Amino acid sequence: MKPYIAQISSNLRLMGRDRSVLFFSTLFPLVFFFTFAQAFRAGSSPGAMSQVFASVMIIGVLGSGFFGAGIRTVLDRETNILRRFKVAPIGPGPIIVASMVSGWVAYMPTVCLFLIFGKFIYHAPLPANLFSLFIFITIGLLAFRAMGMIIASVVNSQQEATVLIQLLYLPMLFLSGATFPLEMLPDWVKTVANFLPATYLYLGMKSILVGGESAFSKPNLWAGLALITAMAVALFVGIKLFRWEKEEKIGGKAKLWILVVLAPFVLSGFYQAHSKQSIGREKQLNRQSSRQRSVLFNNVNIFVGNGEIIQHGAVLIKNGKISQVFRQPPLDTASLNAEVEDESGKTLMPGLIDMHVHIGAPGGVFKNPQDYANPHAQMRRLAAYLYSGITTVRSTGDLLEGALEVRKNSQSDDNTVAQFYTCGPLFTASGGHPEELLENFPEFMRKMAKEQFMRQPKSAGEARTQVDALKLAGVDCVKGVLEAGNESWGKFNRLDPQIYRAVMDEATKQGLPTATHTGSAADVKLAIDAGSNSIEHGSTVDLIPDEAFAAMKARGIFYDPTLSVFEAYSDLAQGKTQILDRPLLQQVGPLDLINNTKSVFSKPPKELNVARANSLFEIPVQNLLHAYQSGVTLITGSDAGNPMVIHGPTVQHEVELWVDAKIPKAVALQAATYNAAKALHQETRIGLIKEGMDATFLLLDGDPLQDITATEHINAVFLRGEHIDRSDLFDQFKK
Amino acid sequence: MRGIDLEVKTGEVFGLLGPNGAGKTTTLEILEGIRPRTSGSVSVLGLDPAAQSKEIKDRIGVCLQATNLPDKMKVHEALDLFAAFYSKNADRDQLLKRLQLWDKKDALYKTLSGGQKQRVALALSLVNDPSLLFLDEPTTGLDPQVRLEIHTVIQELKKDKRSILITTHYIEEAERLCDRVAIVDAGKIIELGTPREIQSRVLGLTQVEVTTRLALPLDTLPEKIRDEKHSSSNEGRTLTVQSSTPATLIMELVRWIDQLGFELVDIHMKRPTLEDVFIELTGKRLREG
Repeated sequence: MKPYIAQISSNLRLMGRDRSVLFFSTLFPLVFFFTFAQAFRAGSSPGAMSQVFASVMIIGVLGSGFFGAGIRTVLDRETNILRRFKVAPIGPGPIIVASMVSGWVAYMPTVCLFLIFGKFIYHAPLPANLFSLFIFITIGLLAFRAMGMIIASVVNSQQEATVLIQLLYLPMLFLSGATFPLEMLPDWVKTVANFLPATYLYLGMKSILVGGESAFSKPNLWAGLALITAMAVALFVGIKLFRWEKEEKIGGKAKLWILVVLAPFVLSGFYQAHSKQSIGREKQLNRQSSRQRSVLFNNVNIFVGNGEIIQHGAVLIKNGKISQVFRQPPLDTASLNAEVEDESGKTLMPGLIDMHVHIGAPGGVFKNPQDYANPHAQMRRLAAYLYSGITTVRSTGDLLEGALEVRKNSQSDDNTVAQFYTCGPLFTASGGHPEELLENFPEFMRKMAKEQFMRQPKSAGEARTQVDALKLAGVDCVKGVLEAGNESWGKFNRLDPQIYRAVMDEATKQGLPTATHTGSAADVKLAIDAGSNSIEHGSTVDLIPDEAFAAMKARGIFYDPTLSVFEAYSDLAQGKTQILDRPLLQQVGPLDLINNTKSVFSKPPKELNVARANSLFEIPVQNLLHAYQSGVTLITGSDAGNPMVIHGPTVQHEVELWVDAKIPKAVALQAATYNAAKALHQETRIGLIKEGMDATFLLLDGDPLQDITATEHINAVFLRGEHIDRSDLFDQFKK
Repeated sequence: MRGIDLEVKTGEVFGLLGPNGAGKTTTLEILEGIRPRTSGSVSVLGLDPAAQSKEIKDRIGVCLQATNLPDKMKVHEALDLFAAFYSKNADRDQLLKRLQLWDKKDALYKTLSGGQKQRVALALSLVNDPSLLFLDEPTTGLDPQVRLEIHTVIQELKKDKRSILITTHYIEEAERLCDRVAIVDAGKIIELGTPREIQSRVLGLTQVEVTTRLALPLDTLPEKIRDEKHSSSNEGRTLTVQSSTPATLIMELVRWIDQLGFELVDIHMKRPTLEDVFIELTGKRLREG
């Protein structure tokens, strides 16, 4: 033990006196630190700061390992210093171990300096997992020092060492993500990165700093294990091959030992190249990092969501949440430690919510039948919503497993899409709506589709059992269908009132919000009576009476008129397809779907009954106005997935229809934000611009209260603090 | 190495003398336990260097050719560091004083002169108070002044009761420092003994040379002198005689010249050097150039 301690303290003393060590292990990383911190505007963003920390710490570890340990040892051999140690009664052990340990001791103050400068100059909070950070840096540093030593052990001269070290150092510096985010790099580089130990170190550090992961999380445990294995092999081989004198030469084959040391990363590299886990992980971490930005949206008009308007205020977001709402622009913006963005002329409002979609249906007709089977189609639809500023949608009737899968994927940081809630299948009568739609499925799929898409309980008991099962499966809401049909559409079996009541009652007991499709005023009455939380559609055949709306108002039942789908059916009946020409819809596409749908539906049917077609839209409009006048709480839904209601900027069109129907703009927008959030039971998180809420909102060019179409002029979309790169959204689901 | 047979006694200074590449350093490295041998038996302090290299290293002192220390290491730190590697330590302050490094103990290694650096190397080799000291060409590459300085130090070390094995290709060094010398060439010992023994064994005799103003009449040479190996040169004015009893010979020669009434211009006695021995034995000089 004595030789080890003596050698370590001697190394440390020498390092302390050596200006080049000071330069490379402290000043050089600090220069990088300040450069990066300035370049990434780290002062106003903990996320960017975490990125800077991870980058400079890796740069330091690489330098310490390759130059501090590797080149230093070769130089000591070349200048006959090691020769002197050769005749002492010690092996290479103390030399190698002391190099590792003293390198660690010398580097830790630099790490602390980063954190201290980060805290006091850039106001970066100390990482939550400080212990994990130190553990991981320690493992990384020791592993890289050991790798430096093995390089020293297999080269014959300083020139050889320099070449070999550059061959390892440069790729690890530039291709590991430490200096350029992996996301930015071409695919082949991403593949190469999987083979570099530095990538694992970098992702580990970043996950700890950005993601708040522990050093012992599964991926970090694997990375740590690979680093420790490499370190153990490097130590063992390094001691075996250690040479004290420059005259002792070693064969070229010895360099293969480096590959042996890197073996854990080679193996892992092949696995990662196949699974692409680490690339996905980096992307996730970058998203997390982007969420940690602190931004002040200054001089902005704020539509709060609950009817309140703040002219010329400011909103501060931090760590993905709204941290402060200012009624006037703050005087001292510098003290907020945030990026300040001047948003004059813009309106900041909560992300829009579509309360009624069928995510499994395209909303049009594909030319190529294979497109119906595209496994990414539903996720792409959610991306289309997000692109359009609709940050949250609720599916009111979809295939259960498919919808749950979509929800799971939508919550993964691998995907950037709108937030998704689903009722799963709908409760209806045997032979009830929408069983007729099953005919659209290929025959072999119909049985599966029926099981997944509908619940057709034959008794109240069965209904309750089915609701309980859905709750267990994890649905967010329960949808019932009350629909007897009509002359023009066709007749359907309507769900037995007793069974329907059981569905609503059981769902409420289970704490699930309920929604009911209604086709007539009678259906609406039953739904109100059964305690449905929302009325979807209202009625297309008759006017809903005063007392029904009064009851809705009294019980806080939401009214979701879904004018969009009625307009679409009305247009369809007349061969009108102009609603597909809206610019924002054209942007989200898919274009082939829009174009083919247009060509299929643009011919007016043979028996054109304009009056009937108009009434299909006019009665729901009347009912909506009546609901508004009765003080019923309104919510917006489009029923997207139905023909000509394509997933995308649905809510914008819905509110435009409302405004055309003389609903005040503020009322329509509140229905699309705060009210909808309440109906989703998510009002503590979304739908309001208020302190503590998710930073999920839109920046619009213009003022939608002046001109409702401003909701289509989206300047920026923020989802839980992440500034969505809208141009990239559709690339996610290309394949 | 082709086969070296030698024994170093306790308390003696033993020199391995030979040209570059003769195998001196290799011999030393085998003894020091830092180089494996292919055959033969070696015992150092009763231990086998191949099997017990660590024990041997712990007990011997070694001063290798051309070693260095880190530039920024202070002299006393070097001693402290190396002392930590050994189970037994000498008094380091004493050591520094003895090697005239006391004033320099806080100096950085890079600020030392060549002689001081070599004295530090010697000090390091003594840091474990070894009973056996290996000095591999301790003065090679040093200028004559510094070499003398180191010789003084080694002579000082001779006073201790420790065995010292020196390799050198400087004759004066061997003659001056060593109790016994082995002459090594091409991996073999070709002579072994005290410097004096070797000289006399190889060339035997001391030469006495007299020079007079006139040519010496060799026919009048006394019987006793005539029996010795002799030759004349310088047109008969110089006479060289070899003898194992040079003192008697000188008296005889002086008496003869005095009887002749000649004027004695010069007389001197020349003892053969190890250099001569080496040239005699190998036909080559010890140092190139």
